[in-house]
Amino acid sequence: MRSVNAIIQELDRIVSHPRVMLEKYLGKGKKVVGCFPIYIPEELVHAGGMIPMGIWGGQVSPAIAGKYSPTFTCSIMRSCMEFGLTGKYQGLSCVLLSVLCDTFRGTSQSWRIGVKDIPIIPFIQPQNRESKAAKEYLIAEYRSVRNRLEEITGCKITDHALSKSIEVYNRHNQTMREFAEVANEHLDVVSAKNRHAVMKSSHFMEKAEHTGIVQELIAGLKALPVCEWKGKKVILTGITAEPNELLDIFTANKIAVVGDDLAQESRQFRTDIPDGDNPMERLTDQWFLRKGCSLVFESHRCRGDMLINQLKENNADGIVVCLMKFCDIEEYEYPIIAQQIEDAGYPTLCIEIDQSTQDNEQSRTKIQSFTEMINDRRP
Amino acid sequence: MFTVGIDIGSTTCKSVIINDGSIIVGRAIVPFGTGTIGPKRVYQSVLDSCGLSRDDIERTLVTGYGRFTFDDADNQKSEMSCHAKGVNFIIPSARTIIDIGGQDAKALRINPNGMLEDFVMNDKCAAGTGKFLDVMAGILNVKVADLGIISEHSQVEVSISNTCTVFAESEVISKLSMNVAIEDIIAGIHRSVAKKVAALVYRNGIVKDVAMSGGVALNKGVVGAMRKELKTDILVHEDCQLAGALGAALFAWEEAVKANRCSQTQKNNE
Amino acid sequence: MSEESKRITQRPVPLSRIMVNEQTAKVYEDALETKKRGERIAWSTAIYVQEICETLGVPVLYPENHSAALAAKHYGEDLIQYAEGNMRYPMNICSYARINFAFADKLKDPNYEWPSPAMPLPDLLLLANNSCVQLTKWYQNLSDTLGVPAFFIDMLYNFTEEKASAYKVKYIRTQIEEAITALEAFIGRKFDWDKFSEIQKRSALNNKLFKEIIALNVHKPAPLNGFDLFNYMAPMVICRGKESTTDILLQLKKEVEENIKNNTSTYPVDQEHRVFWEGIACWPCMRHNLKTLRNLGINAVTNGYVTAWDINYEPTNLDGMAAAYNFASTNSKSTPTVARLRSDLIKKFGCKGMICHVNKSCKVMDFHVFGGRDLIQKYTGVPIVNFDGDQGDSRSYSEAQFETRIQGLAEIMKQNKEGNHA
Repeated sequence: MRSVNAIIQELDRIVSHPRVMLEKYLGKGKKVVGCFPIYIPEELVHAGGMIPMGIWGGQVSPAIAGKYSPTFTCSIMRSCMEFGLTGKYQGLSCVLLSVLCDTFRGTSQSWRIGVKDIPIIPFIQPQNRESKAAKEYLIAEYRSVRNRLEEITGCKITDHALSKSIEVYNRHNQTMREFAEVANEHLDVVSAKNRHAVMKSSHFMEKAEHTGIVQELIAGLKALPVCEWKGKKVILTGITAEPNELLDIFTANKIAVVGDDLAQESRQFRTDIPDGDNPMERLTDQWFLRKGCSLVFESHRCRGDMLINQLKENNADGIVVCLMKFCDIEEYEYPIIAQQIEDAGYPTLCIEIDQSTQDNEQSRTKIQSFTEMINDRRP
Repeated sequence: MFTVGIDIGSTTCKSVIINDGSIIVGRAIVPFGTGTIGPKRVYQSVLDSCGLSRDDIERTLVTGYGRFTFDDADNQKSEMSCHAKGVNFIIPSARTIIDIGGQDAKALRINPNGMLEDFVMNDKCAAGTGKFLDVMAGILNVKVADLGIISEHSQVEVSISNTCTVFAESEVISKLSMNVAIEDIIAGIHRSVAKKVAALVYRNGIVKDVAMSGGVALNKGVVGAMRKELKTDILVHEDCQLAGALGAALFAWEEAVKANRCSQTQKNNE
Repeated sequence: MSEESKRITQRPVPLSRIMVNEQTAKVYEDALETKKRGERIAWSTAIYVQEICETLGVPVLYPENHSAALAAKHYGEDLIQYAEGNMRYPMNICSYARINFAFADKLKDPNYEWPSPAMPLPDLLLLANNSCVQLTKWYQNLSDTLGVPAFFIDMLYNFTEEKASAYKVKYIRTQIEEAITALEAFIGRKFDWDKFSEIQKRSALNNKLFKEIIALNVHKPAPLNGFDLFNYMAPMVICRGKESTTDILLQLKKEVEENIKNNTSTYPVDQEHRVFWEGIACWPCMRHNLKTLRNLGINAVTNGYVTAWDINYEPTNLDGMAAAYNFASTNSKSTPTVARLRSDLIKKFGCKGMICHVNKSCKVMDFHVFGGRDLIQKYTGVPIVNFDGDQGDSRSYSEAQFETRIQGLAEIMKQNKEGNHA
């Protein structure tokens, strides 16, 4: 059995070099389909015998994306455009994009116009989930995604294969949730950066394969003595918490991440696909079960309560809002959520996430001050 | 027992020596920031200012933008905690602190013991920071230190509406070409900084008294504009620029006392 | 200065403008009166299915229109500062929303001296997200903080040039039906389907008139200063289904035709260049926009924004209505569609240049401006210039940048003109 550290190192390597995984799958004769953030019915891709691979941009200062994307739009989308335009995503059969915000609307067009060699399949999940027509609409929308996928890749997607893929994904979700729990017993090993590597690597691997590795990791962790964490504990919320240099600042201040509500991490794994007879219906039903996410409209928003529960359950000291710069969706929600959490008696810290800069100095100062503050407050 | 606090800013280094955590005995400010000879020089100057040598110093704590790159200190702390501590020492009634530094503007809320309760910082953008004033002074060809005095002569404050430094630059140039009096432009610049920073303060909630620290607090124009924006009085101490360094020195003293007590207990136990 | 004022003769305000102002004032007054009587009023996004509440007789106010009005009167700055400071909203979200959040929060204080127009707090919200997704978040927050329900019609972005498939239309149509039923119950009034179809017809008539008026500006010289269209949009935004709008448009049409007959224009100086304006007006900076354009003899004879309320459907056909609303806003269309529409207008109106407002508050529009630039240039060959600005936040606009860029455009257009003559 490999050591815990060896497994984490492997996952970290995958996160740092996703291109290697892309080449590996292509080398095995697999087709790979790019999945934009945040909610893509990857199971359709998987059922076609293809590899769904997340595209979440990367730390880059865009040189040519500026032709299509204004500087005041989300840096993830700008990085994705930059990589698309400069051939970094070559090898992808196509990309899937769910139009859940205005920048997605724009990117669906920029991509069509600018990245000619990789076809894009845009689609939209219904936001008015209370309408009785929403489900029928989404089934038809997913069906059209399925048809387009088949057309472009030539891979057949059968109901039978889809049912199997759904099981693979549900199993993966459960495994990731188990990891998050077990990790909290071993915060000395599972630092903020390591936790992130385990979570994010799932975007670049076939899910059954990833499940296997994470289960191996869980077993390894369970074999270690439980750690009494002496430092502070926080929950992260937002779209992403990257890069590693930023996460290392938490560790340097003896802060552990004991839970997250990040779109790139736990929001991916917290909602299973429900049981049922028809796999397309099941896939659709998952959308109606999603809760507490800024990108999914709720007439009774429950994100604040979910975060407060997470704080209590994990005995955490505060919430760190990782606010993706220029992500208007999160920017609308931030004041409401922060107020709710503070009213419940917990401190919040807001740090800015921006893929277009390597500069973490301001976050370093903020995180240090936050630590000093909560150390004073709850010795 | 002497302790030293050093505040290494982006454009200036400040240092304070205190005796037994209660009296300021040495002060120094050098106009060079992190990455220069500033940190070394300010340390030497502060020692010279009170005739002490390094051997006399029990403990040194460093804060500010360059706090991670200074090797001669025993510990480091963030500028938020240090400003909170320092201002609490010189203005004990202060509950809200506004600190406009070269890179960052911050609003801090502190409790009566000088502990940080909450803080907000500016977006990553030069608007509302000392950097903004530097750029503007450059265009107007005046010294940053003179901005405050010049603006006192303003008759009609003009509006500088842009928050973006590049845009504000062209706005100022166009005012100049329209022969708007320089003091009126500067008054407008001060108001623009004040507006931006006031938004931070409101975010934190205003609890009186309100004090300003940092070098920009010496600029009466900005302080005046802040008073107007916040509709409240703002206290400024003559040592406002040294508040961060002072806080650092106070933390150094607390740590030294704690360390001594520990070693004392250890000795007693032996 | 004095020379300029000699050149520009002060004209009396046209009757149509007075009628617009009176109509707008009345809409706000009616809402205030209704509220005082203890009845319900609504706040609505700009391209909601207005026919529903018009039928139910519920007064509707439009925060987008209201924020624009406040911004134009320079009340925006303080409210924006309040939203960013006291309410912690980041400066990157739509300025209309920031102004509205601050306004709504201040309204809770009974002693608040509200700036005109006075917009009372809503009892219900009407939300359609065809213009953008930010609206969804904006209204979600209003619904949360004000504790009032949002009647939501979720629209679908048209990412290709194809017509919306039947299953999409069905989703939207069903939501319209659901909104009618839910509003009927909430308001406690029976929905009158005959009145509904009358209002649909009235809306279609107003729409047709407005399009005819816009089209009259193809004449040379243009009878209207293109920026006037921004002001005449108010009736189309806030009173699209009302008879008073028909009256205004008929009067306006008469005035415009009169101008054509007399070879006159509301544009105050010689029209050296005709250009197309893309994007929403920079309301707080419109005076400077106009002055800069006027000094160079540029008339922005038409713009993309006024076409946003071009909602065409056959009255009584709910599917048609659903499809039309889903395709109404520029921001619900694909970039190639928008580029094609704009190019057609540029050619039809004889525009020799295009000015694009890169509006920090309106990201989808900006993506069209960026991504569509090459297409429009290919179709029309006209020079295109972008400038940075914002519909409601004057801090994102630079006078010097605007002047320099417009002057550059004028120089290119002059060269092109002379080149063509040579």
